[in-house]
Amino acid sequence: MNVLVLNFQGAEPKTLFSDERLENLHRLMDMGCYGELSSSSEWNVLARQENHTLILMEFFQQADKLCVDITDPVTLREKLSVGDWDYLQFTAASFPADTWSADDYLRLENELGEILQDLDDDTIITILGKNCFVLVSANNPISGEHKGGSSADIAPTLAQLAGYPLPSVTEGNSWVAGMDLNSASGLTTDEQEILRDRLSGLGYI
Amino acid sequence: MKKVIAIGLDGFEPKIAEEMIAQGELPNLMKLQEQGGYSRLGTTYSAQTPVAWSTFSTGTNPGGHGIFDFLTRDPNTYLPIMALSRYEQKNAFVLPKVVNLRRGTPFWDLLSARDVQSTMLRVPCAYPPDQVKGRMLSGVGVPDLRGGFGTPTFYSSRTDIHADQSEKVVTVSVDKDRIATHVIGPRDPKTMSDHKFDINIQVVKAENKIIITSQGQPDKFEVKLGKWSKWLKVKFKVGMMQYVSGIVRFNLRQLEPDFELYASPVNFETAEPLFPISSPKEYAHELAMKVGRYYTAGMAEDHDGLNLNRFDEATYLDQCNIVMRERRRMMEFELDRFESGYFFCLFDTPDRLAHMFWRFREPDHPSNQHHGYNLEFANAIEEHYRECDTVVGEAMKYVDDETFFITLSDHGMNSFQRGLNLNTWLYENGFLALKAGSSSGDGGDFFENVDWDKTKAYAMGLGCIFLNIKGRESNGILNEDEAESVRDGIVSGLTGLMDTDRSAVAVRSVVRREQVYNGPYVSEAPDLLVNFSEGYRVSWDTPLGGVPQGLFVDNHKKWGGDHVIDPVLSSGVLFMNQKFRTESPSLLDLAPTILNSLGVPKGAEMEGRDLLS
Repeated sequence: MNVLVLNFQGAEPKTLFSDERLENLHRLMDMGCYGELSSSSEWNVLARQENHTLILMEFFQQADKLCVDITDPVTLREKLSVGDWDYLQFTAASFPADTWSADDYLRLENELGEILQDLDDDTIITILGKNCFVLVSANNPISGEHKGGSSADIAPTLAQLAGYPLPSVTEGNSWVAGMDLNSASGLTTDEQEILRDRLSGLGYI
Repeated sequence: MKKVIAIGLDGFEPKIAEEMIAQGELPNLMKLQEQGGYSRLGTTYSAQTPVAWSTFSTGTNPGGHGIFDFLTRDPNTYLPIMALSRYEQKNAFVLPKVVNLRRGTPFWDLLSARDVQSTMLRVPCAYPPDQVKGRMLSGVGVPDLRGGFGTPTFYSSRTDIHADQSEKVVTVSVDKDRIATHVIGPRDPKTMSDHKFDINIQVVKAENKIIITSQGQPDKFEVKLGKWSKWLKVKFKVGMMQYVSGIVRFNLRQLEPDFELYASPVNFETAEPLFPISSPKEYAHELAMKVGRYYTAGMAEDHDGLNLNRFDEATYLDQCNIVMRERRRMMEFELDRFESGYFFCLFDTPDRLAHMFWRFREPDHPSNQHHGYNLEFANAIEEHYRECDTVVGEAMKYVDDETFFITLSDHGMNSFQRGLNLNTWLYENGFLALKAGSSSGDGGDFFENVDWDKTKAYAMGLGCIFLNIKGRESNGILNEDEAESVRDGIVSGLTGLMDTDRSAVAVRSVVRREQVYNGPYVSEAPDLLVNFSEGYRVSWDTPLGGVPQGLFVDNHKKWGGDHVIDPVLSSGVLFMNQKFRTESPSLLDLAPTILNSLGVPKGAEMEGRDLLS
């Protein structure tokens, strides 16, 4: 499973979660979980004992994973279409760090629409706004609004969903600690039922 | 010519039409016959709506457009699947796209390239619609909101009513003349449960009616006993902020002793269809603003409701009339503003009506033993044909000196009294194997008990036989040479197959696909096609892969007429206002004829000829 983190730091949760124009974002919210975060520390900080801290990307680097940290949307598009990464962190530099206009939200929506085109089903997607998040992962057992999370929880949660052992001490807590993860394929579908639906009403059969 | 007006009458049967014309009963068609001419029109292998109209539009045999049946099979799973369109989803995070499986080049693409406008209403196998210069409304192939051909809902206060496979049943309780229930919407792909839209029903027994209130539009309306209601626009919440809208009609069947209410399949709503149903995209809604809400599903007629006895023949006729009226409004609205180019409007009802009323032409039809015979409907098809003639007459009012006028049907209609269990024949003759310990009659649909490691051939769809070929089917066992000898064996064994109970030949012939198809998509076609005699068809258990006991069965369903027989016996009709070459015209010839009359050369792949030259 690869991990995609999209940073839109200035995006307010109120607008992100309620602006009807943001169809792509809301589809992701329906597929996974979302919520506001208390900002106790940096979102990407993992910690080891003796206060030696490392950031989420370094955690993946230490496991010999291909990590990319970019701010330029053109490079992002390239990376996504080639797919040569295990961990990709994109900080949207072309968006304001603070105080978004209504247009900025629409740009995010369009950008997101493009980004989603090139992903694999088992990609773990995290979208970060101003003290808020949307998290989609096929194996994520949490759905809907997740309350009471802190920024520091994101890193351990992502590490665990991606299948890594957590450092013995982390600053935050993984939300899925102790939970059974969904099987990777995620959706359970009864093929024959859907088939019957599709063929129902043909008359000839 | 400046204009071509083509009126399609789906399934309009030449034998009935010819007799009625001879008796002067179809004056407008008779006039056309005198002005230009009339001929039976050769149809496709097989004689089915999607196959035939796709040949009409592309001018190629099915090998050139890839539509061979309503159904095909997935060679990986052997499961029957819809053959008209497919949903493709790049990944789990993006919306699926619908892809039309009719390929080839429809003639309106060539018209568009020459800036000739087309106005087309209810085009089969155009979902999603082709991009055209002009306007197109898609027809057969557009699903209901559940993604199928149409799933109705039956509400009853009885607890012993069970849903057939093509409907939903909702058990309701009447509490102080009030019922709280819901309209069933699309299935949630994640939870597999149905999305619901709440409605409240107030029963007014004294006035033989109910009042339905909801958050829909209108928020309150009456449904009278036995009558079709207006459209109710409903909205299903399918996500946190995602809604899907649809339209539904009700028919109140009974208030006492049990409450019974029928709801049509939920059709796409034109303002916000789940997937586009017109070109340009907004056209479907513009049309609705002018002519009122209309059925958008490809199968507009509620044949299921009648077939499952949820309502009676008279109610079905009422509903067919609603469909006809709305189609006529569309046609007239568009013809009023039609100035040049190509105009097409398809009336599906002659097909859907004749399927359900054919049995009344034949008092000895096995269906009548179960459902009763009613002389009142003996001429229902003829009466409907008279209305079709009136429709043609209305369209003819728009003909001037520069108009080429065509009326045609894609295939005919025939009796369907007996069904052949094609898989059972394959089983009994050693071509299909069942798992150890099971025999025919044990399993259900979807080839439940079939032992694929030992099966050489299997049947599905409306007369298709596929071989179990190595490298093509997931458990294929036949190499090329073996496949040929299996085909030979099936052809010789099945050709001339007798229905011994009736001392009649049921199967006239079996053809290999390369005998009747050529072109880029032949490899997708069934390996063999079975050509039935009049009165026969594949049994009800065959299309979805059932292997029941016994070879021949009486058709006990109200669906007592069909046309998927030997195409030679299932021709359509062709009337034109210009003299044309009447020696064996076929659906292949229409595209070149229409193009030529509008001054556009025919496409390179088109196989037919210009009937006017």
